[in-house]
Amino acid sequence: MLNAAMEEIFSKGEALKGVRILDITRIILGPWASTLLAELGAEVVHVEIPGAGDLLIRAVGPQGQFPRNLSPGMMCASANKYYIALDMHKPEGIELIRKLAASSDIIMENFKAGTFDKWGIGYRQMKEIKPDIIYLSMQGFGNWGSLSSRPSYDAYAQGISGLAEITGFPDAMGVKSSAWIGDFLSGTLAAFYTLAALYHRKKTGVGQFIDLSQAEVLMRCMDWTWLYGYLKGKRRERFGNWDMAVVPSCIVKTTDGFVALGAFSEPEYEGLCRSMGREDLLEFRAIEKRLVEAERIYKAIDGWAAGRKSSDILEAGERNGYSVARVMNVEAIYHSEHFNERQTVWKFDDPLWGDLCYPMALHLEDTPGRIRWSMRPVGFDNEYVLRKLLGYSAREIQSLYDEQVIGRWNPQMVFSGPPPDWDGQQGLLFKE
Amino acid sequence: MDWVAWARGNTDPDEAGWKAEALKDVLVLDLSYGSFAGLFTGSLFSEMGARVIKIEPPEGDIARKMTPFGEFIQGTGLPYLVEGRNKEHVTLDIQSAAGKEILLRLVRKADVLIETFAPSAMESMGLGYAALKAINPRLVYVSLNSYGQKGELSDKARKAGWRCYDIIAQALSGFVSTTGIPETMTDFPEHTRVPTRMGNWMGWYAGGAYAGLAVMAALYFREVSGSGQFIDMSPADALMCLNNYALHFYHLTGKAIERPANIEPAAHPYCYVRCKDGMIFLAGYADPNWKALCTIIDRMDLVETYASVKDRTDPIKAIEIIKEIEKFTLDHTRDELVAIWLAYKGPGVTVAGEILKPDETVKLEHWYERRSLVKIQEQPWGDLMLQGAPVKMTETPPRLKWVCREIGADNEFVYLDLLGMPKSRLDELAGEGVL
Repeated sequence: MLNAAMEEIFSKGEALKGVRILDITRIILGPWASTLLAELGAEVVHVEIPGAGDLLIRAVGPQGQFPRNLSPGMMCASANKYYIALDMHKPEGIELIRKLAASSDIIMENFKAGTFDKWGIGYRQMKEIKPDIIYLSMQGFGNWGSLSSRPSYDAYAQGISGLAEITGFPDAMGVKSSAWIGDFLSGTLAAFYTLAALYHRKKTGVGQFIDLSQAEVLMRCMDWTWLYGYLKGKRRERFGNWDMAVVPSCIVKTTDGFVALGAFSEPEYEGLCRSMGREDLLEFRAIEKRLVEAERIYKAIDGWAAGRKSSDILEAGERNGYSVARVMNVEAIYHSEHFNERQTVWKFDDPLWGDLCYPMALHLEDTPGRIRWSMRPVGFDNEYVLRKLLGYSAREIQSLYDEQVIGRWNPQMVFSGPPPDWDGQQGLLFKE
Repeated sequence: MDWVAWARGNTDPDEAGWKAEALKDVLVLDLSYGSFAGLFTGSLFSEMGARVIKIEPPEGDIARKMTPFGEFIQGTGLPYLVEGRNKEHVTLDIQSAAGKEILLRLVRKADVLIETFAPSAMESMGLGYAALKAINPRLVYVSLNSYGQKGELSDKARKAGWRCYDIIAQALSGFVSTTGIPETMTDFPEHTRVPTRMGNWMGWYAGGAYAGLAVMAALYFREVSGSGQFIDMSPADALMCLNNYALHFYHLTGKAIERPANIEPAAHPYCYVRCKDGMIFLAGYADPNWKALCTIIDRMDLVETYASVKDRTDPIKAIEIIKEIEKFTLDHTRDELVAIWLAYKGPGVTVAGEILKPDETVKLEHWYERRSLVKIQEQPWGDLMLQGAPVKMTETPPRLKWVCREIGADNEFVYLDLLGMPKSRLDELAGEGVL
């Protein structure tokens, strides 16, 4: 499935080539941060426990479905990483972590605050081994502060931040994102801050500790919520599909679907009014007037759209210069000429699982992001990591297996292992 | 020393002023217009120490007018005050010959350029990547637009002049299609059972976060290669990448993930339910934990009716389960329910957490301790409260130095400092409408 565009991408360099990351993270937040850097070329060693692996995410599939033994929950925050499984409750397991840390540039973890410090592999101890290490700790509420001991789930972060209560319609209920946006957005920003620290290290030789809070990320991205509440003494309410700060910018229901439109500048707004045949609404040409008459304008737009086909509204947007888009679901995205041409819909042959599809947004011209492979079974790359990165012999590796310091998947749990028809060799990166 | 004490002492945001800034040698030109994706990208850099020059047309960035219910302070809207941080605000008419010439002089010194115009609008002004690369090969140039710089929709956007709106990113990414109340929840009014936008500007913020990451990777690579590069960043692409396994799963099974309201299709109950004064988050999905939940609400009959994980995650049954649980929770407040859940000491683990409204969120002391909410007084804006950075760092902590500046407030300093332009020349340019 390697098309010409992908061939060209693979002919180009990678921004983070040569950067090694020790990734001892779980669920989505941490794994997503390291995945983004792996898509940009970093070498990421992902650590799990032998057997079930990261059970809390591997066991996640809609209505319990695990096609080809893939875990939908895990695969969406996994790309290009090496999977090792070791027992951190054994001293030899901790020793392996230390050895891996000694040759790493970045360590990422999202265990409960202080856990790694207690185990002797926290920032303070790792800094002794690798003085310029960059150590990223990701938490629901951060490593300190009055809420820091609370456990966090994505759904709880969306709730406590107020995000769910400002999403949805006033006459229904608050709605959270069905995506684990608290995890994904935080992982994205975590990757940014990590690279800023790496840049600083390149210039000065100094590493550091980074403490990121998931709930705080969501709050940071809630635009005018806090300033409005502080100044007006009022709570931000829900406004359904109307954007009350950019009028008009909304989702409308048509006779055959849903369309998004935005027409904020005066020429765009005039174009929309003309399309609607509502010259009377030009009275609100001035933005300041529209912002205070938002409800009236939105009702007019909703009423107009309700009697029209989506294509009419889209074509009018092309003619009259206001911005429009169809509300696309995943089926439309998957087949769309646009996203396929952009290589945002990335269809590829995985070395282990066969044909897969991922989204890809890192379109850097000289060092484009890319997907090489998806998630891997628990401990699938033990040999690659230990032989190539740490220089262990086959015999030493065998004794680590014998002592149950390292291990592989649990055949009883499909989502921890390889595809059902696996031949014992396919997809392995280091074959003995 | 205790870990928490160490972490607090070494990442105390109030000590940030003594510490180094990671990006202090980076000069960013933020040409974004009407886009908080661009503004947020600039904020990420300015918080980490980059010098960010926000370039507006003489009448100001239209983003200054994006504000709820027409709330302005001194002519600037509230969202712009949130994302104006640490930036120097200058004016320049880049469509005029003199303005373009000045921009090119700034570009020679810049490391990063951010723009959010319609696709190819910069090219048509002679300011496309190829032209700027020719005068500064080290420049990292990021174009943010939800239609992207190539592809079928980008071609349409180029002709029609379509802009970088949040709502477009949310719609194209698939996010709107997976957010909201499904048709099948017939308790809710029909017009509310539709694909729904995220209440915040999730498309813009996701696009900005992704652009920050991509630019940072390009800057790091430049240390190796010596060259800058072009980045085609679409907030729609970015948000699509944050939408769980929707695309992966569709490829594998041909099934589209539909909007599930507050239900998690892979584990149930892991959801919100309504109660007397709002909503709470409930988790109790594995068999023993489901039993614990049923024990608490005194509905042991449900243990049998929805016996397996498969039963409970069935989309129709999942809604029935919510209705059954709400028969209990609607009689109690959030505080009562959290207390009831905490008091349960039987077998199994089930969790309840309060869903807050923003005016309740701000009452928690935690955000102020960590300076993730910051009260700040600054002229001419007055007394404000803004989000601080969501991250603490030991060596190069992000910081909030100033809130925002009025249109053109830094013209004199920036044009003197970077280009040596005397006040008399600035007055001439202002007279010609260039500044």
